[in-house]
Amino acid sequence: MITLKNDQLTFSFPEVHAEAVFSLEFERTLRIPDDNRAHFLPPGLGSFPLAHVDDHAARLPPSWRAHGGVFLPMYQAEALWINFNDFGEYPFAVKIAAGKIDAVTGDPWSTKLSDDPQNYVVVPEQPWLDGFCVSKGMIRQFVAMPLGAGFTAEEQLTGAAEHGGLQIIAYPMKAEVYEAMRKARAEEVLFGPDFAMCCEAPCPSPPQKEMGLAPGGLMRQSIYDDPYGLDAWDLKHASRCFVHILNSLQYAAATGHNPPTRPPSAADYTRAGLPWFAYYGAESAALEGSAKLAGMDSVAAKTIKQGLPPLPENEPVTPKVVIPIGTGDRVREAEF
Amino acid sequence: MEFGSYIRATRERLRAGDRRYSVRQVAQRIGVEPAYLSKIERGEQSPPSEATIRRLAEDLSLDADVLLALAGKVSAEMQAIIRQRPELFAQLLRELRDLPDHAILQLVRVVRDGDW
Repeated sequence: MITLKNDQLTFSFPEVHAEAVFSLEFERTLRIPDDNRAHFLPPGLGSFPLAHVDDHAARLPPSWRAHGGVFLPMYQAEALWINFNDFGEYPFAVKIAAGKIDAVTGDPWSTKLSDDPQNYVVVPEQPWLDGFCVSKGMIRQFVAMPLGAGFTAEEQLTGAAEHGGLQIIAYPMKAEVYEAMRKARAEEVLFGPDFAMCCEAPCPSPPQKEMGLAPGGLMRQSIYDDPYGLDAWDLKHASRCFVHILNSLQYAAATGHNPPTRPPSAADYTRAGLPWFAYYGAESAALEGSAKLAGMDSVAAKTIKQGLPPLPENEPVTPKVVIPIGTGDRVREAEF
Repeated sequence: MEFGSYIRATRERLRAGDRRYSVRQVAQRIGVEPAYLSKIERGEQSPPSEATIRRLAEDLSLDADVLLALAGKVSAEMQAIIRQRPELFAQLLRELRDLPDHAILQLVRVVRDGDW
């Protein structure tokens, strides 16, 4: 079951286990410079507003009504990241696609989990996802571009501008695997030699076309290897959601509300001395990244190839403040 | 509790700290005769119209929906909501009838999955 409250999508599986709950939200953020340099993690600037498709069905295309799900507004060339909030320790395997292109492998969307190559992230081990996994420890930021202009991942990899948006499916861990793991952890806490280490370190544990997500600048972020293995996941239970992305005008027409204001440019933000973040969380192995995704043109590169004016607000930045964060403190919010 | 005695008890409690809550002054503020309000309080007169109940609720700082329910009335607003989708709301109310308060304090809205 997926519920929407306070702009958070909460996935819960009471039929599997009372603790099988996690939520995610879509964070507004800076668009990092698309200059082939590896950037630190940008801040969260508050979450995007989310609305039920059903609540505004009369003003949305019939195909969106058929998809169901939710929608959010993004300006062209605005970036987002997905923030996973765990209510406890219950693990989930979460598949994420943009325009039905798997953000981890670059393969076409399927609901199936695979471990060769791994096509999902593990929550809560994975605190967030900022983009497409292009190489080990490196992603290209999710940047909204209109479908049909050739920038989005789906257009670059399939040649078609058909789906847009984000697609998400979550599988909970099998209840018996979770119970066994919890019992083992409890015994380790009671009898193990190094309780403190265990707690601090990651225990193995009616618009025409919507917007799509294109690969933006490079960012240092690892997608972590599944520490539990494919057999740990309860494949009989899954919840999925289609997240449509509207541009600001479409959003205002559908809802009667204006979207949030545009985020500051990365350069303005950095000049103001505001912090970037570096995550030193996990000792888990990182996935290698996808050659398909790495072969895509970034928005800036595509802009040049198409002979368009250079991407605005794309000045290089040199952060003055970089805040290191770890697994125990996963807050990426700047204080203004 | 009866509508009239509830009104009277509330008004008398307020009057103990503020003399403006006499029958005469309250009746004047809500636009009825003092004798009429007095009869309502004693249960000698049926509860007044929805509009008067709303003015009374505002004057006595009471919840209008609670007062309307005590008066055996369903507000025009609620009637309009139910008339729009009568089957759905009738079914919903029947299902909610026996649930404890804590179970219905929060409306859980499931995100619908479709065909994609």
